[in-house]
Amino acid sequence: MKKNTLSYKCQQYAMFAGISTAAFVAVVILPFVYGLYLTFTSWDGVSKDKPFVGLSNYTATFSDAAFWQALGRTVIYSAISVILVNVVAFALAYLVTRGVKGQNFFRAGFFIPNLIGGIVLGYVWKFVFNRAFVALGTSLSVGFLSTSWLATTGGAMLCLIIVSVWQYAGYMMLIYVAGFMSVPKDLIEAAQIDGCTPNQTMFHVTVPLMTSSFVQCLFLTITRCFMVYDVNLSLTKGEPFNTSVMAAMHVYNQAFTYKKYGVGQAEALILFLVCAIVGVTQVYIGKKAEVAA
Amino acid sequence: MTDNKTAARNKRISHIVMFVILIVMFFAFIFPFLMVIINVFKTKADITSDPLSLLGAHGFTLQNFPEAMKKMNFWRSFGNSAVITITSTILTIIFSAMTAFVIVRNKWKACTLLFSLMVASMVIPFQVLMIPLVSLYGGTLGILNHRATLIFMHTGFSLAMATFMFHGAIHTNVPVDLEEAADIDGCSRWQTYWLIVFPLLKPTIATVAIIDAMAFWNDYLLPSLVLGRKELYTIPIATQVFYGTYSTDIGLIMAALLLAILPILLLYVFLQRYIVEGVTAGAVKS
Amino acid sequence: MKKFSALMLALLMALSLAACGGGGDTAPDTNDGGAAESGGGKVNITIFNSKSEIQSQFEEMAAEYSAATGVGVEVYFSSDTVAAHMATRYASNDPYTLAMVDAKDIYSLGPEHAIDLSGEDWVANTNYAVSVGDQVMGFPVCVEARGVMYNADAIEAITGTPFVPSDYATLDAFRGLLETLVAGGMESPVGIMKEDWSLAGHFLAEVYEEQDDVFGYVDGLYAGTSTVADNEKFNALMDYFDVMKQYNYAASSPIAAEREVSEQYLAEGKIAFMFGGNWDWSMINAYDYSEHLGMMPVPQNLDDGANQKLVGGGSKFFFIDSSEYTSDEQRQAAKDFLNWLVFNADGNKFLTEDCALVPAFSNIAAENLDPLGASVKEYADAGNLIDNYNYLPDDHYSMMGAELQKYLAGQQDRAALAAAIEQYWASTTPVER
Repeated sequence: MKKNTLSYKCQQYAMFAGISTAAFVAVVILPFVYGLYLTFTSWDGVSKDKPFVGLSNYTATFSDAAFWQALGRTVIYSAISVILVNVVAFALAYLVTRGVKGQNFFRAGFFIPNLIGGIVLGYVWKFVFNRAFVALGTSLSVGFLSTSWLATTGGAMLCLIIVSVWQYAGYMMLIYVAGFMSVPKDLIEAAQIDGCTPNQTMFHVTVPLMTSSFVQCLFLTITRCFMVYDVNLSLTKGEPFNTSVMAAMHVYNQAFTYKKYGVGQAEALILFLVCAIVGVTQVYIGKKAEVAA
Repeated sequence: MTDNKTAARNKRISHIVMFVILIVMFFAFIFPFLMVIINVFKTKADITSDPLSLLGAHGFTLQNFPEAMKKMNFWRSFGNSAVITITSTILTIIFSAMTAFVIVRNKWKACTLLFSLMVASMVIPFQVLMIPLVSLYGGTLGILNHRATLIFMHTGFSLAMATFMFHGAIHTNVPVDLEEAADIDGCSRWQTYWLIVFPLLKPTIATVAIIDAMAFWNDYLLPSLVLGRKELYTIPIATQVFYGTYSTDIGLIMAALLLAILPILLLYVFLQRYIVEGVTAGAVKS
Repeated sequence: MKKFSALMLALLMALSLAACGGGGDTAPDTNDGGAAESGGGKVNITIFNSKSEIQSQFEEMAAEYSAATGVGVEVYFSSDTVAAHMATRYASNDPYTLAMVDAKDIYSLGPEHAIDLSGEDWVANTNYAVSVGDQVMGFPVCVEARGVMYNADAIEAITGTPFVPSDYATLDAFRGLLETLVAGGMESPVGIMKEDWSLAGHFLAEVYEEQDDVFGYVDGLYAGTSTVADNEKFNALMDYFDVMKQYNYAASSPIAAEREVSEQYLAEGKIAFMFGGNWDWSMINAYDYSEHLGMMPVPQNLDDGANQKLVGGGSKFFFIDSSEYTSDEQRQAAKDFLNWLVFNADGNKFLTEDCALVPAFSNIAAENLDPLGASVKEYADAGNLIDNYNYLPDDHYSMMGAELQKYLAGQQDRAALAAAIEQYWASTTPVER
């Protein structure tokens, strides 16, 4: 067949990916490029004129200490959350694919947190941390529960991490479950017949075959954690003392609350770059591992 | 014989242990919902003063539900949310799976470029795009305030991640020899895709469906930008009136939450079956 | 395989159904979406309401107003910040006919997006309209003021004598009263809101607003010539804040205080005092509030008259969109609506009774205000309101809120707080006025 001709390639590409490409470019790429242009203006977000200012938004970004602090905080928060989310999710996925009684029920249960949007989720958890835990702590006189964790610097971060784990673990569990299901049963049986212990089967047969699940989950959690906004807003709002302001929230505030649209957009771009570098590196390493496996 | 017995007993014990762990985890995951369910039947005064009690001083009330339903115009919002969620989810699945297929099976430059762009785009904070997006579609094209526009945007935004997920699934779970066999049998690529590849993607389709449907159902920011008319409001936009600067009505929020979550929960329970069925193992064998 | 194809078929059918449904529905939207609708005769206007607590009243009013006048009114609310929401509406060329925003938004949006309302009849009846240059652009929705909210019932239950706020205008007298309350069994008679808009936006702002020369002082802060640490006003207000801190019911963990809980305590008389404003009524009325609540000036030892006055004025302003996306008929309908609010008995009733707002117009009587609103009206009518300073930088409440939270939590002393305030102003680009 004439599979190497350009027209064949074009036809195949258009047939399978034409509409996707068009929609993707129209919705994501074009606005992104336009947004990029806006970083070179001193637009306030509502005015009709968008004065061109060259690179001054970028210099402003580099001297914005609060932004770098927020970014650093986001990195720490993301590192801890990503690890915890994936450990919990993998463990849950393992437990609900062992044929334990009611495992479908549990799968549904663990996934439920995902069914709520970020904003509502934050409010519900705020209620839990501020009221339910405190009421519980006071009535049982448990010291560390009787004042709200949200009121202290470390506590607010801890709360954010807890909520993230709670929110994403069920979701990632789903991907890991799909991963577990996709490992051919005969391979596992073969390994067991060859005398592998369950642990050995797990780490030498199952896990390597699930590399793509790991890559996906890590990528998703990394990007989501880096861009955390909804929960940040409704759970801590940056309090106390603006010590729980994450990068995305700082960007949003710059652009809309403080009306420095160009600076906000420039900072968002930096957030994007950091996030892209981490995410893509991770995928790259993962792909290598996959090939090796 | 005895070996088998010990093995069976060990298995039973390990199942019991796992079951107990699952129960404990389950309660940790469900705790906030218990709080919601307990408090949704209380008045605001009781929610504030005594969040843990089953029954407040002002007694049991169902008042939060009709009030929330009225304030958010529940059935209209529900209809809008349903149309938008269902259509966007189906479109996303169809187009992203096709795109992933062409990307995985061909090492063309255009494919690599598209995939890299898609992966990169997944880390763009939405706030970066929102003003340019409304400027282009509202300011320049003037096509905001249509459900179709929102469906188009939902699809456009979710394509990247869905393609990414299908990419992984096709890469690992769809054996090339099956496709080659179909090719030899005289199938065109189009037929091969729909007859052989797409059905094999069932678990991923179910996963993407539930994840995207949920994201569309709950999305607030994008619909709030695109749908500026009341008759188009989806559930999340309709409930924002419960969150004010100076007052937040937690009772109504909880009622609205329970009302909004139900359909998506049903969808999940339904699709779960397809995620559970490990189709690949069977396909490789046959 | 069969089952699966059946499922896909069902999905496809659902898709086509949805697509048809979507198509059928979108057609009429195009008509609604068109801003200028002079052809049909019926004028439709959109109103943006940024006070969530009166959204349902607004919607009911809109229905009645439409029925009575034939002008279609749709009322919108957004939980986004006003500035962000307006930005997206203007970016999409889809502005509201009439938008309710804060004073600072009138200054930033007005010159480009608002029409001049100088010729309107209601201008003569209010002191609170916002003007940009020589043009009146903001219609004041209500009067709101800040001060110390009190629960007189709770106080009288302990003291046994009628509570007269003016007896406690000095901080010394106020502290004495707090002592009496503590001795009488109310362990911690005070609540403090830890929200940044309350601490910095409402309380710290009084430091600027109560200066003799407000503009001069703020200009000096920008220039680095005004000082905070040795400023009499700052110290007088912080002395008050220290007293409140000492008697705060949440003193052990002040940042954990939940606003709902504090308001409930005040409403039910578990605490007697809290700094706030008459908008707090929308929270208090959800609880079993006692009858005699009110607002009083912040007690201070500094004898400059500020302890006889609340701080406030017009709050929330309507402006009418000037862009080409709003037709002249719509603009006229919006003007008619504003006149209806001021000069029509139903409009008055809507403002003062349905929404319980303190009217910003001299011709509107308000008999049935809530207790906090009644206090505000009393001070406003007597000319005892100190003006709002409407030109605070946009990040002031957030940045300075964090500093005051640190002070409240005991993580920094007054000198450090003063230094942070000075440093903030000196490094901020001045807001034009």
